[in-house]
Amino acid sequence: MAAEFVVDSPINSNHRSPLLFILSHILRHPVAAIILLIGAFSNAFLAGIVPGFVGDAFDAILLMNDESLRLVLNSVLLIMASQILRSVLQCMRNFAAEVFAQRFERDIRDELYASLLGKSMSYHDLQPVGEIMARVTNDVREMNLMMNPGINLVLGANMFLIMPALYAPFIHPQLIIVPMIFIVSHLAVQVYFVRRMHPIAQEVRANFGRMNARLAEALEGLEVVKGAATEAAEISRFDGLADRVRDSFIDQGEFEARYLSPVLFGLTVVAALIHAAALYGAGQIGEGDVVAYLVLINIFQFPVFISLFSSSRIASGYASADRILEVINAKTGLDQNPNGYRGRIRGDITFDNVDFSYGDDEHVLSGVSFTVRPGQTVAIVGQTGAGKSTLSKLINRIYDVDSGRILVDGVDLRDWDLQALCSQISIIEQDIFLFSRSVAANIAFGRDEVDMRRIVDSAEAAQAHDFIASFPAGYDTVIGQRGMTLSGGQRQRLALARAFQTDPPILILDDSTSAIDSATEDKIQRAIWSAARGRTTLLITHRLSQIRWADHIVVLRRGRVVAQGAHEELLETSQSYRHIFDRYQDYPASQSAAGD
Amino acid sequence: MAAIFGGLQSDNYDRRYSDAYLFRRIGAYMSSHKALVALGLLGFLLVGIARAIRPVWISDAVDELVRGGDFLQFVILALTVIAVVEYASNYVRRRFTVIVIGRIVAQMRKDCFAAAIEHDLAFYDEQKSGTVISRVTSDTQEFGDVMLLGSDVISQFLTVIILVVALVSYSLELTAILLLTTPMVVIAALFFRYLARIVTRQGSRAMAVVNDNIQESVAGISVAKNFRQEQMIYGEFSLVNNLSYRVNLRKGFVLSLVFPVMGVLSALALSIIIWFGANAVFAGALTAGAWFLFIQAVDRFWFPFMNLSSFWSQFQQGLSAAERIFALIDAENTVLQRDNLKLKSLAGRIQFEDVAFEYNRGETVLRDFNLDIKPGENVAFVGHTGAGKSSIAKLITRYYEFQAGRILIDGQDIRSLDITAFRSNLGIVPQQPFLFSGSVLDNIRYGNAAVSTDEINEIAMSIGQGEWLDSLPDGLETDVGERGARLSMGQRQLVSLLRVLLQKPSIFILDEATASIDPFTESQIQDAIVLILAQSTSILIAHRLGTVRSADRIIVLREGEIIEEGDHDALMRNGGHYAELYNTYFRHQSLVYVESAKDKFAQAGD
Repeated sequence: MAAEFVVDSPINSNHRSPLLFILSHILRHPVAAIILLIGAFSNAFLAGIVPGFVGDAFDAILLMNDESLRLVLNSVLLIMASQILRSVLQCMRNFAAEVFAQRFERDIRDELYASLLGKSMSYHDLQPVGEIMARVTNDVREMNLMMNPGINLVLGANMFLIMPALYAPFIHPQLIIVPMIFIVSHLAVQVYFVRRMHPIAQEVRANFGRMNARLAEALEGLEVVKGAATEAAEISRFDGLADRVRDSFIDQGEFEARYLSPVLFGLTVVAALIHAAALYGAGQIGEGDVVAYLVLINIFQFPVFISLFSSSRIASGYASADRILEVINAKTGLDQNPNGYRGRIRGDITFDNVDFSYGDDEHVLSGVSFTVRPGQTVAIVGQTGAGKSTLSKLINRIYDVDSGRILVDGVDLRDWDLQALCSQISIIEQDIFLFSRSVAANIAFGRDEVDMRRIVDSAEAAQAHDFIASFPAGYDTVIGQRGMTLSGGQRQRLALARAFQTDPPILILDDSTSAIDSATEDKIQRAIWSAARGRTTLLITHRLSQIRWADHIVVLRRGRVVAQGAHEELLETSQSYRHIFDRYQDYPASQSAAGD
Repeated sequence: MAAIFGGLQSDNYDRRYSDAYLFRRIGAYMSSHKALVALGLLGFLLVGIARAIRPVWISDAVDELVRGGDFLQFVILALTVIAVVEYASNYVRRRFTVIVIGRIVAQMRKDCFAAAIEHDLAFYDEQKSGTVISRVTSDTQEFGDVMLLGSDVISQFLTVIILVVALVSYSLELTAILLLTTPMVVIAALFFRYLARIVTRQGSRAMAVVNDNIQESVAGISVAKNFRQEQMIYGEFSLVNNLSYRVNLRKGFVLSLVFPVMGVLSALALSIIIWFGANAVFAGALTAGAWFLFIQAVDRFWFPFMNLSSFWSQFQQGLSAAERIFALIDAENTVLQRDNLKLKSLAGRIQFEDVAFEYNRGETVLRDFNLDIKPGENVAFVGHTGAGKSSIAKLITRYYEFQAGRILIDGQDIRSLDITAFRSNLGIVPQQPFLFSGSVLDNIRYGNAAVSTDEINEIAMSIGQGEWLDSLPDGLETDVGERGARLSMGQRQLVSLLRVLLQKPSIFILDEATASIDPFTESQIQDAIVLILAQSTSILIAHRLGTVRSADRIIVLREGEIIEEGDHDALMRNGGHYAELYNTYFRHQSLVYVESAKDKFAQAGD
């Protein structure tokens, strides 16, 4: 099952699990990884060298001779030199981490975007735009932050964690004991807290989300709230939600306050002092060694301070990687069938006992059968949710039927070359999307050469030329700029002009745009009328006049065809259809008034 | 992103409060938790002392060690106690700080919400509800975060102050030298803050471009796919994605410099202290242990200064967040009641007497407006946009204040009524029917808590034999989604009408939707409207021919004046403004138009 669109991309990451995904992205930049590792280690190593110099200075001063101050100066200069070198290495480490983080973000976004373009419409139809945007923006950003500061700091902090254990044996072999005990217990505390903190933080977020959602609803629906005089009830409901946010916030704070590593550190200092004092008392180490050791132990302060923060970054980055993979790995797409039938469509459409459902839900369409002859206009009518839009999505195979079959020109859709089929069917959806480009570019969208003459002809046929010409910049007007917004009717006519450009044998039009004045209604109807001529047209419509002039009307109710035929037949056979027109018969006076 | 830019634009109800006033008002929130605040402060003090004392005693221990004194065991015991005390008092400090902040933030949110829900609808004409929402949630959140951050910095400074006192007792000169190194770190922190602000702004802008690009292509993906333009769109994306990469990498490099530079400065300060300290020890002015104390103090000393200078702008943001919160709470209403008369039952007579109304000064909508609507009468208002139809409805609902004249409800001045009691007698269906998340049933019951499910079922089935329930997957239990998004506009309108039908209001106010509704649902909407009209005085702002025709009286408005009134047929015969409006707005809804469309287009097309 090939994707509909594939980019030639150098990014070949592993999609099997979040961990492998992250690793494979890290391995794409081996040089940066090595620099990061070396930088982190040498940074900590050079920080660990300072205590020794301090100890030397201490020893020197206790000598109290002519050499003392010169030796102290030596130590000072060594400290400065080592720390300048350390800063340079730290810069290297940070730069490498930053390159990593930004490339992570860029590459993963690229990968995700390409994968989205490759997904079929059946996927996109089910995904809310907001949901996808959250993945491409927030989750990708989380991956960046996971790298820097996340992994960068965790790596840095852990290097600092091992330094005391690395240096202490040089003072005295036994002195490794206290640092080792601290490292082990700190890591244990770390694992415990990170694991416990995750659900607590989630609870805070969830409560906050609930409060926010209700708040937004109450304020956006304020007219209803005031109208129904339910302010008091809304306030007490909100207060309850705010209290829950407060309680979970306090719980989180309480848990964080229990974080044990600081007290472990305090006790480690005491233990280090006892151990050093004992060795000093036994004459095994000097004063300077004791001081050096105590300064060395102080290095633990940095990882204690930073650890909780940085590990939560990694945890949320990991969760984001999981969500990104969910999108990338979603299997969608229909069989392209590139060797299938690829003739010019005449415009014959037959639904033969078609059943369809989205997933495991109940049937959206059941037992739908009807036939459209080339050039006919068919009106599909019914209540919202009756299955009208779904029906139209089956014709260009956004979805495949569950059972039964659909034939175009007598050939089952599944035997068509998908590309050949789709390129001859034009669909104008209810929500018409226009790109932020010029009007001309929107009309000519999909054609490589821009032929102004053709564009104007299409616009005229779609009754769009007049309003386009009324814009100061005419066809060069950029849509969406400087408040350049179009009404629903105008957008619809631009979409029709776009369809005229490709002259498809089959046109499917979801015409649910409202026209609040009669002149606009006239224009829209005229545009649709001329678009429908000479091709097979399926109209999903709310307009009675269109239903009136359609060649064939299909009435859907709960996914079943409850009536079909011409207007006169339906007046006979369908009660609810008759009810619509009955209402109009009550007002005979309007007939006399419409003699324009 | 919103958090960054949230504070940049101001709304017109914003005001400047003096810092002193802000602190007093924040203090008032705190004062209701005096005991907790006191406990927290005790924790602060203990933590400060413990953290300051630890390095002092460690250096004492070193002195003892060098001297070989017996005091050492005692110091070690004391250090153990200090470690435990520090942990315990830090726990107390954090715990009570979080409780106090959590409660203050929750109280602020409640106050904000109570104020927001009481504000007039006129207020929301000017303010997007989104910005109000962000005050109730984000601004309060930010304020809380800053308070937490502030409490940490205060705690660090407390440690430094206690430490300085101890240090001074050892050596005044060395303390002075240590203090003199702090400007270095402050200047460096301020400089980086300045740089960071520039590069961060550029970075966010580049990100916004990428996000816009993705938003557009995801929203328009069906068009791109229909015309097979994926490669072109991918190319455009690649371009901005790479641009954003470069800009953000530069940002990252600048920010990467912060810690290395601070590291060098810290080493410099350490070197200075070691050198001068060594000289002091050599001269006999200082013990070796005291020297070690100064060495330990360097980092501890720097930390709060570095924090304060890098977080300074955040503290200011916290204060302006508080300012925005208070401005929302303090914003004044224009609709004010003089009395709170509770009418026993409302007959539904509505009189306008010489009413003048304007939304903004100088933009008069109604002038010397007179109208008498009898109890039970159904009145439709027609006119061009801006003729004043909705304004009349908004005055009856008392959503807006009028400037002159009187409005009487059952002969009582509308300004003297108890507004909540009055509104519970109104049934209002706005142009964009709004549903709350929950089931269809919940929404029908909104404001009618006492009504039984059976009763609702019965009424729902009475509309078009319940055909509209057909298209709801779970009938009355169907989840309507956020703001009713899972229902069509027609269905939302039906749910709102059913709510009103159950409520049996004395006055029904309908601002009809202009959205396109399928003919089946529409005929059921008409059924529901007819039922409500029979039981209430009705104010109809009509967009559909059927609704206009079902009114007892049609009032034709032009520029805020009544120029014609009567029933449809009489008005049509007049051939006046109504006939013109009919031709503009209603002609295409007539049966004649529907029946003649085919011939008309066939002629025009050839």
